[in-house]
This record gives sequence, structure tokens and C-alpha cells, in this order.
Amino acid sequence: MSVCAHQWNMSRVRHGYLVVEGCFECGGRRSLFSTEPAAPLDEYREGRHFWSYMGSFQSVKFDLECGVCGKTIDLGDVNGVMLSECADPGCAVGALVRQQGPASFVYVALCPDSTHAAGRCVSPEGIDALTEYFNQYLGALNRKILVVPCKMCDSIDRCRGTIIADVGLTDIQ
Amino acid sequence: MKISELAEKTGLKAANTYVDREVQGVYISDMVSDIITSAKPSSVIVTLQTHKSLIAAANLVAAAMVVVVKGRQPSDDVVELATRSGIAVFVSASDTWAFAKKLTQLGFE
Repeated sequence: MSVCAHQWNMSRVRHGYLVVEGCFECGGRRSLFSTEPAAPLDEYREGRHFWSYMGSFQSVKFDLECGVCGKTIDLGDVNGVMLSECADPGCAVGALVRQQGPASFVYVALCPDSTHAAGRCVSPEGIDALTEYFNQYLGALNRKILVVPCKMCDSIDRCRGTIIADVGLTDIQ
Repeated sequence: MKISELAEKTGLKAANTYVDREVQGVYISDMVSDIITSAKPSSVIVTLQTHKSLIAAANLVAAAMVVVVKGRQPSDDVVELATRSGIAVFVSASDTWAFAKKLTQLGFE
């Protein structure tokens, strides 16, 4: 059986809001993607949690589809991508960042459950496909991108990086 | 068309040192969530934005160059990231429309 050298394209592109919520009871944080015309601001109880709106910004979600074999990768568990600049000495992502050469970059795929309370994160298949997709045109430029799941971060609160979303774009710099 | 030729013909001022690559298209947007889904490899991105996330997105789409319009100056850390990413950064005093007209006059569509 031949193995396809996938040529990934974005598919099912959805523009919307990435909404961050926090629970006062447990300190947990999570995010959801909303395609409503305005970001939802509701507070609500869910089991022992009480989720409150913490912030939102315009973002995008997409899946990947191979233009050769038609295979699709559902990236519903990816709520954002962040260029890591982690300097935390105890963080595995920070260690990876420090190992990279000047033309190699680590991007963190952010799942909806920032504190990983349920133990889930972005699927390995999704990470592999994103890595292949973002590197499709960079090989000839001698640049490389590594995509890692956010569960590799020691603490998402201490993680330093630049999220690819329309947040802070109007800040005075 | 090479970056250097485009820069010379449109009167751009470089904000960093760059590798002189071929430019193969144009994308105009002020939203990084738009750039990441629509800009093509080796394109020039024309924008008003100077935020670091612009370069983080331009890197993912393998953009060749970024032109910041209306004379806005990107900060040093933004320029440094662009240089590391192999992305040429230029500043134009023109507004977006005026700069877009220069690009169409050069044959970009």
C-alpha cells in the first residue's frame, strides 16, 4: 500500500470569536470558539464549576484536507496557535525553544481545556498534520516549524508567546 | 519580481536586513486571523498593523515581505522576529490604497 505524501490545504474555515472562561470555584480556565455575531458573555453553572467570561478576541478555526488523497483532519480540538517564546526553565516547551536554531520556531497548538482538567489535548494526528502543513513551503527557505500540543506547557499561565489572533492589535506600541 | 526591485520602484524604506527573494503575490489585511487563512507563500503583506502576531502569522504562511503603511514603525522586537523569520519589513508613508495602486502599476493583480 502506497503512503500519500500529503499536500494539505485548509478546509472548513470558520471565522469567529475565541472566548476565554474561568471558573471561580476551581481556578480552571477553558476556551470556546463562537461563530455568533458577538462573543457570548454569559456566566453559568456546570456541575461544581461556575464559568465566567474572561475575555475574547477574533480568531479563526479550520480543518486540513489533503489535495492528493482527500484525507481530512478535524482540528476541532485546536482553538488557537501560539508562537512560543517560553523562557521557563522547568517547561518542556521552553526546553524545546532553547534547542532550536535561529530559523526554527516552536508553535503551541492550544486546546479548549487550558488547564487540562479532563486530561485531553490536541490529537497527535492533528499535531502531525499542522506541522506538515506549516512546513510545506518553508523547506526551500531553510526554515522549520515545530507544532506541539499545549499540554506540553508546564503552566499556560507562565507560558510566554504570541497568540495568532486579533488581540492587542490596537495597543499603542 | 525581487523584493529589492519592488522596494526601489515603490520608494520603500527597509526596517531590517533581508534575503532578496522573489515576490509572487499581494495580500492586504489588518487582521492576522485573515492573513493566516488567505495570504499565499512568497507574498507581500500590506497592513497597518505592527503587532508581533502579524509576524508570527506571516511566518506560518511563508510570506516574503511585510509593508507597514501610513509610516507606522514596528517595534524592535517585531523587526527582530521578522529578521529571524526571513521576512523583509518595510515602512511606507503611503496609505493602503495608495500603496496598492503602486503595486498594480508594477503588474501585481
